[in-house]
Amino acid sequence: MATYKLYYFNGRGRAEVSRMIFAAAGEKYEDIRYEQDKWPEHKSEMPLGQMPVLEFNGTKLPQSVSIARFLAKQFQLAGKDSFEQAQVDAVVDTINDCVTKYVPIRREEDEAKKEELTKKFLAEELPKHLQNFETLAKLYSKGGHFFVGNQLTWADLLFYDVGAIILQVDSNAFNNHAWLKDNRAEVEKQPKIAEYLKSRPNTPF
Amino acid sequence: MSSGDLKFYYFDLQARGELTRLILAAAGRSYEDIRFGFDKWPEYKPKMILGQAPVLELADGTQLPQSLTIARYVAREAGLAGSDNLESAKIDAVVDTQKDVNETYFSKVFPEKDETKKAEELKKFLDETVTKHVENLGKLKKAYSKDEKYFVGDKLSWADLFVFQSIQALLQAVPEVKGKFGEQFKPLMDAINGNENIKKYLDARPQTAF
Repeated sequence: MATYKLYYFNGRGRAEVSRMIFAAAGEKYEDIRYEQDKWPEHKSEMPLGQMPVLEFNGTKLPQSVSIARFLAKQFQLAGKDSFEQAQVDAVVDTINDCVTKYVPIRREEDEAKKEELTKKFLAEELPKHLQNFETLAKLYSKGGHFFVGNQLTWADLLFYDVGAIILQVDSNAFNNHAWLKDNRAEVEKQPKIAEYLKSRPNTPF
Repeated sequence: MSSGDLKFYYFDLQARGELTRLILAAAGRSYEDIRFGFDKWPEYKPKMILGQAPVLELADGTQLPQSLTIARYVAREAGLAGSDNLESAKIDAVVDTQKDVNETYFSKVFPEKDETKKAEELKKFLDETVTKHVENLGKLKKAYSKDEKYFVGDKLSWADLFVFQSIQALLQAVPEVKGKFGEQFKPLMDAINGNENIKKYLDARPQTAF
């Protein structure tokens, strides 16, 4: 009987895609959340002193994207064959390119600067990324609602999670991107995911 | 197996293309190694799936973007991506850890035009980032390796090739980094340099600026 423990802060952040994978697959795991003040005492327990970490049958894995890919493959949410897995990885990397551009802006402490950078990001940077997501979907989706191969994969779950953050910044972000809007709606409709979204803890991040 | 069934498009550089070339070399897999200068890029860009390189193209014209996705795919096809899902994940974790460091160099040090600032960023990179990174690689190797050499289990994987390539590239760009890796990766570097297929490739590959 496989055991899974996921260690992270009490928030969505870089662990949420993995939580969504567990939920979509209907798989049980220990959802361990450390508050900021408790984290220092656990830091040395993690392979690289960072979280998230997945503990699978006693083996610890760091790196959020690697964790998510591992779980998706465990639960058949990673693509039907080797090439589809690669297509899913390509979508994931492309989504993460967008996240990488946004993270420093989100972290900016000077409020005025942050607002300026955010405006610039929305106007100049985000459109390219959204276009890229749609380009990949057009080529890989086989005409369906999901990014790859006409079935739900962790690429859709990641886009759902990242999409929520984008919409928080600009609720109109997907107005000219019907396919992306529709993709998120399809993810939300999946019964196990709908149930998870309803019941998950509400946290600031 | 004709080389016509796999095409790899990238600049005539190592940078983000070399890892895939190394994996294909280690696998003894033939392919069309399409290299172009910056001057030719405007011709190629519209033909690339996201207008970026590298791109892997299969015989039927399907394209895959994203350098590490391409590397993982060709490694998996070549049996260099672990023998089960957990091993593949350990390999991915080593790759992600090396990638974090490469990206720090490319985003903080490489693009800095101001000489003074660049020297500052480089010092920080060497003293803090690389030091921590060597520690981290050592920890992962201790946790995942079954022998003296390879990062995961007891055979060559694309994680080994990525660390090998990254260290080589860093040494070329920043010779000061030489002492920082110590002796712990020497068995790995020796094994890779001694691998027949890889040695053949390394001896013949074009010399490029980076």
